[in-house]
Amino acid sequence: MDVERLNTLVEDRPEDDIFAVNSAVFTDEAIFAAEMAAIFEGTWIYVGLDSQLPEPHSFFTTYIGRQPVIVMKDGDGQVGCFLNTCRHRGTLLCPYKHGCQKIHVCRYHGWSYNTGGENVFVTAEATGQYAASFTEADHDLVKVPRFESYRGLLFASLNADVPSLSEHLGDAKVFIDLVVDQSPVGKIEYVPGETTYTFNGNWKLQFENGLDFYHFSSTHSSYVDILAERAKRGTIGVLPSEDEPEAQGSFNFHRGHAVNWSILSQSIFSRPLCLEQDALDAVRARVGATRAKWMLRQRNLTIYPNLQIIDINSAQIRTWRPLSAHKTEMTSHCLGIVGESAAARRFRIRGYEDFFNPPGLASSDDNAMYELCQAGYAAEAGPRQGYARGMASRPGAAQKQADELNISPVESAIGVGKAFGAKAFGGETNFFPGYREWKRLLQKESAR
Amino acid sequence: MNATLHVPDGTVGAFARAVASDLILTEAHELDSRNWAAWLALYSVDAKFWMPAWLDENAQSDDPNTQVSLIYHESRLELEERVDRVNSLKSITTMPLPRTIHVIGGIRLLAHSEDRIQASSSANVHVYDPRTSDHHIAAVRYSHTLSRTGDGPWLITCKTISLINDRMPSVVDFYTV
Ligand code: FES
Ligand SMILES: [Fe+2]
Repeated sequence: MDVERLNTLVEDRPEDDIFAVNSAVFTDEAIFAAEMAAIFEGTWIYVGLDSQLPEPHSFFTTYIGRQPVIVMKDGDGQVGCFLNTCRHRGTLLCPYKHGCQKIHVCRYHGWSYNTGGENVFVTAEATGQYAASFTEADHDLVKVPRFESYRGLLFASLNADVPSLSEHLGDAKVFIDLVVDQSPVGKIEYVPGETTYTFNGNWKLQFENGLDFYHFSSTHSSYVDILAERAKRGTIGVLPSEDEPEAQGSFNFHRGHAVNWSILSQSIFSRPLCLEQDALDAVRARVGATRAKWMLRQRNLTIYPNLQIIDINSAQIRTWRPLSAHKTEMTSHCLGIVGESAAARRFRIRGYEDFFNPPGLASSDDNAMYELCQAGYAAEAGPRQGYARGMASRPGAAQKQADELNISPVESAIGVGKAFGAKAFGGETNFFPGYREWKRLLQKESAR
Repeated sequence: MNATLHVPDGTVGAFARAVASDLILTEAHELDSRNWAAWLALYSVDAKFWMPAWLDENAQSDDPNTQVSLIYHESRLELEERVDRVNSLKSITTMPLPRTIHVIGGIRLLAHSEDRIQASSSANVHVYDPRTSDHHIAAVRYSHTLSRTGDGPWLITCKTISLINDRMPSVVDFYTV
C-alpha cells in the first residue's frame, strides 16, 4: 500500500492534534490480507511460554498469522520453531496442541522428524527410484527464521529482517519484568486449562480494548454493581494504600507497544502478591520498594501485534489469531507466578474466572461490544472520534512515573483516576503506537 | 461408572430415575423460559456449579484449586450474582438476551440412596442471538447430584458441565450451556 493510501487510512497529524482511523482498516478483506503479510508474517509474534516445554522433547503447536507452527525442545534442551508441515506432501505434521515425543511421524506416508526438526526417515527411500536432486535435498522441517525469548516469553518472526527481540521490545521489557520478577525464581507459567473463543470482529478491536480504561464503568457496569455488592458483604480483599493521588496513565513505546496503568488509593481488588505479608516483604526486599509498588498497580500491557498481559487481581495472557477482517480467534490463559503459595494461586484462579475468562462476568461484555463495533463500522459515518481523550496530556505528561521506572517512553499521558468510576481519565492516545507501527509495517512491506 | 455404586433397580430405582429426570428437565425449562428465580430455587445454598476447561484433546481440568475452570462456583450466592447481572439489564450480553433451547437426552441414573441421586445426561443447547442472528449449538454432557434433607424437596447440590465444543462463541453463560 502506498504512503498516500496509508495516510488516508490512518490520519496521524500530532501538530494539528488529529488522529483518526478509517473504518475500512477494520472491514476491508484486502487490507486484512496485507496486514497478514506485513504484520503477522512481518514482525515478531508472541507464540508461547518456555514453561510450556517442561522437558526434553516437549512440544506445542500454534500459529504465526495464517501459518501453523510447532515449537519443540530437542534432547539437548534447545528450543526451535518450525513450520508445522511435512516436507513430503505438506500434511499438517502434528495435529496435537501439546505433548512430549522424540519423533514426529507424518501420518500420510510416514516420513519422520526429530525434535530438532531434522528429517530422520524417508519411508522406503531405497526403493523410491529417487533422482539425485531429491537425495541431495534438505528434507528437514522449515525453520522459522527468527526465534528468541525474553524472560520465558517466546517470540518468532517469519520475516528474517527484524531487529533482535530485545530491541523490538525496548522499554516495554520493564513491564514484562514487573510480572516475571514477582516470582522468587523469575518464572511465569500458564495455569493449566486454556480458553479459546472467537468474536465476529476485527482483531484490532481487541488490540484497542486491551488499552481502553474508558469503557470500564459503562461496558462493565453490571460487574461494577456485583463488586459493590461483594464489598458490602465484606468479601473483597484490600490492597496496601498508596500515598500518591489516584491517577490513570499510559506509556507509548516504539514498535507498537503501549501500557496502561492506574494508581489507586484503595482497590476493590486485592492481589495474589499481597495476600501474605511475608511474601510481599520478600518481593520488596528483592526488587525494591518502587518496583514492588508498580507490581501492585494495575498494568495492561500490549506487545504489538498479538499479546496482552493484564495484571490486576489475577493475571491474564491474551493472544489472538486473526481469521478474517470480520473474525478473530482468541486464546486466553491465566498467568501464574512460579513459586507463589497455594492460597495465592487459588485466589488468582478464582479472580481470573470471575473477570477475565470469557464465560466470566466481564469479558463477554467486551466481546459483545466488539461485534457491535464491527457492525457499526459498516456505516460510512466519516472519521470516528475515539482517539481524542488525552490528546492534550501528551507528550511527556507522566515523566515522573517514567523516571521511577528508569524508562524513556515515546509519549506518556496521565489523568485523574477515580478507580473505575465515570470520572476517570481513560486516555486513548495509547492506541497511537499500534497504528503507527501498523502503518510502518504496511509501508515497509509494500516497499519490499 | 464406579463399581461400588449401587446399580438402580426395581421401584426405588424407577422413583429415583423419575426424580432425576424431572429435575433435569425442569431445570432446562426454567432456563429456556428465563424463570431465573425458579431456576435458582432448584439449587441448594451450598451448590457447586462447575464447567471444567480442557487441558488437551482428551483431558479436562479436575482440580479447581490448581487449574482453570470455564465456570466454577461453590455456592448458590455466586449463581445469584450471575442472575443479578442478567436482571440488571446492564450487561451488554443480555441486551438483547439470547434465546435458548436445551434439548436434553440420555438421562442415566448412576446411583441413588434415600437422600442422594446421581445422574448424567447430555444436551444440545441451541443459542440464538437476536443481536447478530447467530445460531450456535453448545454440545454438553451434564452430571447432576441431587440431595434432600428429610422430606424436603430434591435440590441440585452439584452440577458439572462438560463442554464438548470448547472453541466458544463470544458469549457463554450459565443459560447458554
Ligand atoms: S505428506 Fe508427510 S509423509 Fe507424505
Ligand atoms: Fe473490558
